[in-house]
Amino acid sequence: MNPAIGYVAIAAVAVASALIGFYGLRVSRTTSDFYVASRTVRPWWNASAIGGEYLSAASFLGIAGLILLTGSSALWFPIGYTAGYLMLLLFVAAPLRRSGAYTIPDFTEARLDSLWARRVTSTLVIVIGWFYIVPQLQGAALTVRITTGLPSWVGSLAVAVIVAVVVAAGGMRSITFVQAFQFWLKLTALAIPVVAILLLVGDVRPALPPVEAFPPSAGPGDLEVYRTVSLMVALLLGTLGLPHVLVRFYTNPDGVAARRTTVIVLVLLSVFYLFPTAFGFLGRAFAPDLAQSGDADALILLLPDRLIAGPLGDVLTALVIAGAFAAFLSTSSGLVVSLAGVISQDLLGGSVRGFRIAAVLSSFVPLVVALATEPAGLAGSVGLVFAFTASTLCPVLLLGIWWRGLTARGAIAGMLTGAVLSGVAILGGGLVTAGLPALRPFLEQPAAWTVPIAVVVTVVVSLGDRRGIPRGTDRFLTRLHVPEPTAAHPHEG
Amino acid sequence: MTSGDADAAPDPRPPSPGRVRVTAPHAGSPAASVRSSSPEAEGGPTSDIAGVYVRSLIRSQLRLGIVFALGFVVATALFVLAIALVPQLDTTFVLGVPLSWLLLGVGVYPLAITVGGLYVRAASRNEARYRALAEDR
Repeated sequence: MNPAIGYVAIAAVAVASALIGFYGLRVSRTTSDFYVASRTVRPWWNASAIGGEYLSAASFLGIAGLILLTGSSALWFPIGYTAGYLMLLLFVAAPLRRSGAYTIPDFTEARLDSLWARRVTSTLVIVIGWFYIVPQLQGAALTVRITTGLPSWVGSLAVAVIVAVVVAAGGMRSITFVQAFQFWLKLTALAIPVVAILLLVGDVRPALPPVEAFPPSAGPGDLEVYRTVSLMVALLLGTLGLPHVLVRFYTNPDGVAARRTTVIVLVLLSVFYLFPTAFGFLGRAFAPDLAQSGDADALILLLPDRLIAGPLGDVLTALVIAGAFAAFLSTSSGLVVSLAGVISQDLLGGSVRGFRIAAVLSSFVPLVVALATEPAGLAGSVGLVFAFTASTLCPVLLLGIWWRGLTARGAIAGMLTGAVLSGVAILGGGLVTAGLPALRPFLEQPAAWTVPIAVVVTVVVSLGDRRGIPRGTDRFLTRLHVPEPTAAHPHEG
Repeated sequence: MTSGDADAAPDPRPPSPGRVRVTAPHAGSPAASVRSSSPEAEGGPTSDIAGVYVRSLIRSQLRLGIVFALGFVVATALFVLAIALVPQLDTTFVLGVPLSWLLLGVGVYPLAITVGGLYVRAASRNEARYRALAEDR
């Protein structure tokens, strides 16, 4: 591949993101603007921004790579990533918008009237955010190595620096426009190559005949029930607790708009995921050798050049590289915005200056982790972050919105239980299963048992702590569920 | 493909408690402050009736969410089971891809969108019903 294409595409995305970011700076003045764009963002903009923020390296590169590697079981990832928004719609979107809080720690503190519940939540949000950024930086490393031949660390460093600068300079308002732009860039960057390949590939002979490329043994009939169910639990419930997703809902004007936005997000994601899926299918037929090379995640970057010769192939390659970089930048910056919000409010007094310092901090810790660790498959690593989120933040959020009996003690006990169980399963799983291979699926996909245990612990401890129910609970729940007065300008919290 | 929808979207009308004069508990307004925070202490004057309406709204919204979530999960499970149980789908190729892979790859999304769209309408209906009760004074 011609390295010049890689350089041009990456530079173009970086410059475009920075320009839109700085343009947004002009309209962003107060702290409230900075954090939630003054809640003036319209549903379509907001939905595009949510999609832009959500579609990470795992969605853009990882799904196609995993379809190539493991077959149709990988199709469950985009299904889960999308259906997670359905759960968000059914249980979280409107009440959370009405809560008036900026971040998940704000929500737990207000709901449970407890500084300790807030501290535990903040810590979890920061851990989740950091571990979610790591695969983005590793995706950037892979992309830079494959497309330009530069060493991997250049990619990780470039993304971390761009994100820190854009977020620290522009805050959230600009990020909303950047994110919305990046959703459409990502969609175009996959859709055009897929359509072009489907139109032009008639002359190219597939490397494998269909029967061998899509063997029934890797097909939907050969379902590993426990792994699939557990992955679905992780993805459906993990989405509820993702810090960068939730902060987006505060930019809706009211609860009804939050619901409408979420349905639009469902549509946008459904359309988007058709294309990584198509890439995965094309990869199985035309580039099965990539599965052996260990660079399956680079399938989307390499396929256009392999199948379409000449300048058109170059243009399409530039487009997918740009889309991939948009994915790394948008997810990382969305995460950095929400992490910086949490860190600056809890540790640095909530000023704009504190937000900037926190933004830099939030970008560089994951950079160190990304440089120090060996990259695993992108879709898989992000899936584990979802499992951890589902086991920790999701029970507190759901019970906090729907159950008046939740107490601070119950919430903290549940979060810690979920964190320890899923953390040990994810990090220590490899050591344990060496001797006991039968345990392997349960440790590699822990959500199916860690989430119920976390919920039970939360409920049981809360039930034993009836006096711990905060006094304002009924008022708070009223605020979450009662529709806003029709002239939609509710007061700030 | 969306066979589960009929089950997933039952009439979510909660048992109508009849019309009663209440004070509107607007979110966050001091008037809505509920002093008696234990669920047993019901049966007081008007502000408790407001509380009853709010609790009934919360219950019906929760029921709605659970019914739609279960509807989606059951419909998806049945869909996947149907794909797995028809081996001919593995050997029927469309554009070089087995029909079973294509169905799993695209089939669940329309279901999710449909369930989501129906839910938004049903949830707004619940809220409109609540508002009618609360503002009817």
